[in-house]
Amino acid sequence: MSHLLEAVDLFKTFRPRRSWPWSKKSVALEPTSFTLEAGETLAIMGETGSGKSTLSKIIAGVEAPSGGELYLNGQKLNYAQSKRRCQNIRMVFQDSDKSLNQQLTVGQQLEEPLLFNREMSNSERKQLIHSTLRKVGLLAEHAAFYPHMLSTGQKQRVAIARAIILDPQIVVADEALVALDPSVRAQIINLMLDLQKDMGISYIIVTHSPQIVKHIADKILILYRGKMIAFNETERLLTEKQQPYVQALLHEHLINHSQITGNSSAKVTE
Amino acid sequence: MDLLDIRNLTIEMDGPHGRVRVLDKVSLQLKEGEVHSLVGESGSGKSLLAKAVIGVLNPLWDVTADRLWWNGKDLLAMTPKQRRAITGRDMAMIFQDPLAYLDPNSTVAEQITEAIPAGDVTGTFMHRRIDRKTRVAQLLHRVGIRDHDAIMKSYPYELSEGIAQKVSIAIAIAHRPKLLIADEPTTAMEPSTKDQIQRLLGKLAVSQSMSVLLITQDVASILPATQRVSLLYCGQMMEHGDTETVLNRPAHPYTDAMIKMSLQAHAELEPKSKLPSLPGAVPTLRHMPIGCRLGPRCPYAQKQCVKAPLVRHRDEQSYYCHFPLNEPEA
Repeated sequence: MSHLLEAVDLFKTFRPRRSWPWSKKSVALEPTSFTLEAGETLAIMGETGSGKSTLSKIIAGVEAPSGGELYLNGQKLNYAQSKRRCQNIRMVFQDSDKSLNQQLTVGQQLEEPLLFNREMSNSERKQLIHSTLRKVGLLAEHAAFYPHMLSTGQKQRVAIARAIILDPQIVVADEALVALDPSVRAQIINLMLDLQKDMGISYIIVTHSPQIVKHIADKILILYRGKMIAFNETERLLTEKQQPYVQALLHEHLINHSQITGNSSAKVTE
Repeated sequence: MDLLDIRNLTIEMDGPHGRVRVLDKVSLQLKEGEVHSLVGESGSGKSLLAKAVIGVLNPLWDVTADRLWWNGKDLLAMTPKQRRAITGRDMAMIFQDPLAYLDPNSTVAEQITEAIPAGDVTGTFMHRRIDRKTRVAQLLHRVGIRDHDAIMKSYPYELSEGIAQKVSIAIAIAHRPKLLIADEPTTAMEPSTKDQIQRLLGKLAVSQSMSVLLITQDVASILPATQRVSLLYCGQMMEHGDTETVLNRPAHPYTDAMIKMSLQAHAELEPKSKLPSLPGAVPTLRHMPIGCRLGPRCPYAQKQCVKAPLVRHRDEQSYYCHFPLNEPEA
């Protein structure tokens, strides 16, 4: 049986600005291969500038890879196949304020992907929009609201509704959970887990918070300066001995926390 | 005497839908050399409190307080000029996004030099010039930047997030303030940078004998060096007190929920299990609940909660709740 998503040697290089055509290209992402099964969650971790956003953008089709192949359900997915990609792979962004159109009502924004991708009558579309809004914990009446009338958590819910309205197989969330308030973040994580259980969605989550990753991810992919240095199941990565960088990334907060308290108390006694 | 003594600070503004009370009788005391964390979700008025202390609020808003004292002097009774003098000399502030705060058009050295008080350097023109340069290097060393030569010459866009935040701290401590207000300095940073900045702030508070008012969203991200913590929700103070006591034995349901919702607590739960969370969303300014503003979201709320609770004290903590948790058994 084929995997839901399979990446074979995906890589991305950029030509540096102000350079000769023959000069060496800078590498954003070295050849990376991984697989993702249906209903699984993959977390991509790494420092700033390690290429994790580049990888998520390539998967979501925002950027073209410089080489390598992506297979969806065993069939090759080219960069130009935007129709097939956008029906199966959807993206949720960090800032729901910026990713939602302030000029359109929530209903109109949810209608847009349906107009382009589905052949439905007006009433069917309306029904689907209302049921999707209910699925993400909003009311059908929210379809008439503009984004500025909603709270941050509700806006993030709308962004998720827009992602799942086409019944996709994969949702890519790029730092979508970090900047939220604690109570909203917990609610959104609960919602994402519920949707995964009900609809069998796979998530690809880009984050640098080890606690969130431990809670929701089945597999972890760790990048260091564009190079994949670990790809394994969460439990095995957490229990087995790893390279120092991986250890630091996964247990960072705990290690440093004890260090800080040790340091500060030592300073006071001096 | 407390460095900063705030009693029943209330801020009211006239919105399009009538008068709104954005801060409702908030009290806060800050001792000298103390690190105090102010925790609250967005829209809870924590930045507003900081702005009221600095004195940069919209003059059309009503600021009333039983006390807004700085070192025993009443800030509200001062003329704007007197107040600016105190703010400029004794207070400093750092912000969430250092790259938006630093001037993109001038180098790091130029920006730090500007912040060094004129009276600090004396002598001839050349002496002053050299003095200033060494002072800038010293400040950069103090915030943990080793290669000061390279950093001094660079422009903000060339710096990484963590270094930029360190530079903004260097600017803030250049005139040796008594109070540093840090407005969510580490919210959007990755864990390793976050720890560096937090460790630095804790260290500076001790070495410079400076008070720090740290504003954060998450209980998990308060400084380990914090001595006292206050929790705000929708402009009302929920609980304040000694950090260890408050975090180990929270009296207010909101504190309890914030601790359970923090990232640290997630790590101990079963993977993929439901996370604890408060139901509903933060109310908008138009629809503030009466009485205790947590009421509609609080799992322990009862009839009495439509009346705002008075402050109660227990050991090292004070809380505003009719039905406190973790009561000692009588």
